[in-house]
Amino acid sequence: MDAIYKLIQHYAPKIPDLLALALAVLLPIAIVMGVFLTVFALLTWVERKALGRIQNRRGPNRVGPVGLFQPVADGLKLLTKEDIVPAAADKVVHFLAPVLTVVPAFMVLAVVPVAKGFVPVDLNIGVLFALAVSTGSVLALFMAGWASRNKFSLLGAMRSVAQVVSYEVPMVMAAVVILMAAGTLSSVGIVEAQRGLAGWFVFKPWGLVAFVIFQLCAMAEVARTPFDLPEAESEIVAGYHTEYSGFKFALFQMGEYVAAITMGGITVTMFLGGYLGPGSDLPKIGWLVSAGWFFAKLGIIVVINIWARGTWPRVRVDQLLGFAWKLLLPLALVNIVAMAIWHFASNKLVGWGASAVVLAVAIVALVKINTGQTFEKRSYRFIS
Amino acid sequence: MIGKGLMDGLVVTAKNFVGSYFDGNRKERLFTYQYPEERMPLPENSRTFPFLVYDGTPDQMRCTACKVCETECPPQCICIVMDRDANGKPLRRPTVFDIDTSVCMQCGICVEVCPFNAIKMDCDFERSQYARFDDLITHLPTLLKSNEYYHQIKSAEATRVDATRKPAKKPAAAPTPVKPVPTSTDMRTEDERQAWQRGYQGEVGAGEIVWPPVVLKKQSARTPLEQSVSSAPAANDVPWHDSGIELEKRMEMAKERPLADKLMAAMAQVDCQACGYDCRGYANALASGESKDYSRCAPGEEPTKNMLEKLMKEAGKI
Amino acid sequence: MTIVFLTLSAITVLGALLAVTLRNLVHCLLALVLFFMGIAGHFFLLKADFLGAVQILIYIGAVAVLILFAIMLTRNISGTEGGRGSLGGAWWLGVGIATTLAGAMCVFVRRSDLVSKLPYGATEEGVVKEIGKLLVTDWVVPLEIMAVLLTAALIGAVVIALEEEKKR
Repeated sequence: MDAIYKLIQHYAPKIPDLLALALAVLLPIAIVMGVFLTVFALLTWVERKALGRIQNRRGPNRVGPVGLFQPVADGLKLLTKEDIVPAAADKVVHFLAPVLTVVPAFMVLAVVPVAKGFVPVDLNIGVLFALAVSTGSVLALFMAGWASRNKFSLLGAMRSVAQVVSYEVPMVMAAVVILMAAGTLSSVGIVEAQRGLAGWFVFKPWGLVAFVIFQLCAMAEVARTPFDLPEAESEIVAGYHTEYSGFKFALFQMGEYVAAITMGGITVTMFLGGYLGPGSDLPKIGWLVSAGWFFAKLGIIVVINIWARGTWPRVRVDQLLGFAWKLLLPLALVNIVAMAIWHFASNKLVGWGASAVVLAVAIVALVKINTGQTFEKRSYRFIS
Repeated sequence: MIGKGLMDGLVVTAKNFVGSYFDGNRKERLFTYQYPEERMPLPENSRTFPFLVYDGTPDQMRCTACKVCETECPPQCICIVMDRDANGKPLRRPTVFDIDTSVCMQCGICVEVCPFNAIKMDCDFERSQYARFDDLITHLPTLLKSNEYYHQIKSAEATRVDATRKPAKKPAAAPTPVKPVPTSTDMRTEDERQAWQRGYQGEVGAGEIVWPPVVLKKQSARTPLEQSVSSAPAANDVPWHDSGIELEKRMEMAKERPLADKLMAAMAQVDCQACGYDCRGYANALASGESKDYSRCAPGEEPTKNMLEKLMKEAGKI
Repeated sequence: MTIVFLTLSAITVLGALLAVTLRNLVHCLLALVLFFMGIAGHFFLLKADFLGAVQILIYIGAVAVLILFAIMLTRNISGTEGGRGSLGGAWWLGVGIATTLAGAMCVFVRRSDLVSKLPYGATEEGVVKEIGKLLVTDWVVPLEIMAVLLTAALIGAVVIALEEEKKR
């Protein structure tokens, strides 16, 4: 932001100060929104195509070359659809919910460093801000489910609240390790801390564990398969957005996808070295190369997401919550200890070995504890 | 090993993904038919709506307007009018053959009952229209399709049919110009349509009918038929020669007549020629002992067959 | 800056007022969230980014959701049952208590040396670091007490849940 302001002042000194300031504020927003909305549109196409191929189908291939304009057609269709609000619905809340779903998703984008020297707002608490804001979507989902006055919607909303609140905890705990390693909360600072050969945090034992935990939690947070219980079609129709149609529905989809992308962006920033990569420091074209690196890494995360979605079935509610509280959370706590060992180890090799051993023991133990339990036959209190 | 199942799943989907792009037999892998461009071969027995088969040119249609299908059709969606020459002499072919596709339930009973293999079930399912009431009633020109087409869609069945059929008769020497008869599309007003509907169900008296079937039935009752074909031993007035009259009533009418007339009264009175004669001719043949097979009246079905058997036994012919 | 402050304050006060006056409990909760957002905005305005983010993370992400669960377990969410207005007859008592509390807090905050001890004026980068250091040095005893308290609450919750299990 400041850099743009300076650039404007440098190249066009005649522009009035206020206008320059406004430009400096609006330009990054426009760029980020434009780029990520395009990525969102493309992602819907890529996802449908990839899921199709995974299931030996062709995927969309009618609109435009290889179906590339399918998102446009979808958007137009959803725009022209009738907007139905249930008669018993809470009109105001019903209207606000889809809007509030999109807002946090885009707010997180503010702190994602997309390229070298390009981050809309370099907050010194960047990662914390991202984690905090992304929790805001819970309320939007709950509002949607509650305002619809529909049992399926309410069930979906309750599921999503329980899920997001549960996965928030191991997610933050996994992020803590990265903050400890980088010594800063700033997203740019975290990226810069991963410089050097194999400097990415994912290449360290604690980093790998934290990456897996964080990635799983991110998938749960944005309710993607295998954690898509809030909108499980086979169980509760479409969950919280059962009663939404037309563009409000599109907003929910958009919020979900943009949240998935931004979560991927945060993951890339924290574990995969963000925009860093060979050539990202070159003068003149460094920003372009670094942006390429960022989006390439984001692509990897997206592929993992789609692959998982195309492969794994949905988990049960008890499995979902048990997984978060009984496996991920203890593991994340042990991971912090491992990080501490690494930090205080006399040399790197000892740190590597010690933290790896601690984590391996913890994983084996936790898996042992968590498996092999059998459930009694369920008895229902109110049904004889 | 925990998580092995998850990993195996990932491998399977990855193989599918890569294989769908690079596999040698990826055409088989991607089982989707790109519908408008490629089509799935339809099973031999798939059926949509009926159509009429002709041999060679559309003049040589197999249908003889015997109206068996019209009578048998459970939802009553077929309307047939026999063609006539200038003298009112029936020609063995329909001038109107309408099928109301909005009523047709695609049961295929018309195919079962047709003595001439003239009506068959089509496989054409692309019948959507832009307007709501377009082409709901299919007329004769649309219904007529060649035997080659029949071979094309149901080759095994068509070959079977061809084997059982007699070699195609020579076409009628001079195809008489077809009289303009109102078709269902000519019924523009709602009244006309309703009148047709009522007349179709045989509930309306003479006069108010504009639609031909009933009018023709009245005529057929009045007009003596087929003198040329029959070497008539009996009187020419045959009041029972109307397929609208029930079998019992017809037998009542012919009670005092000679055997040939009684036999004729037992026939279905549609002159369909399924037996190889018209009704009069078949009766004469049976009476004269030229033929002993009393089971050949296809439109009359069991009642006629039983009645003929009874009559023949009484007369000592069999 | 004053405009931003006034707007934020208006939003905050509006949210607080709505939270206590609306009849529908879920609407009250959403108004409360608005109020939390306003407070977070104030923190950001005061350059206390860390506190602002924590406000959002904890109050909106956790407290509001907790209240939400509590509300979902109650009857009469829409506030249509029962004849009493949302402001009870003893509303003046509530106002009195709130005013007294607020006044007392103002007085004590002004008098205490807490303000001078806070890393006020530290560099932006340093705020988090300073808070962290203070938490594990000067304020380690309160921190640990709080941790013990929370652990006790957690164990208590587990025990209660387990008993429920046994009864069945």
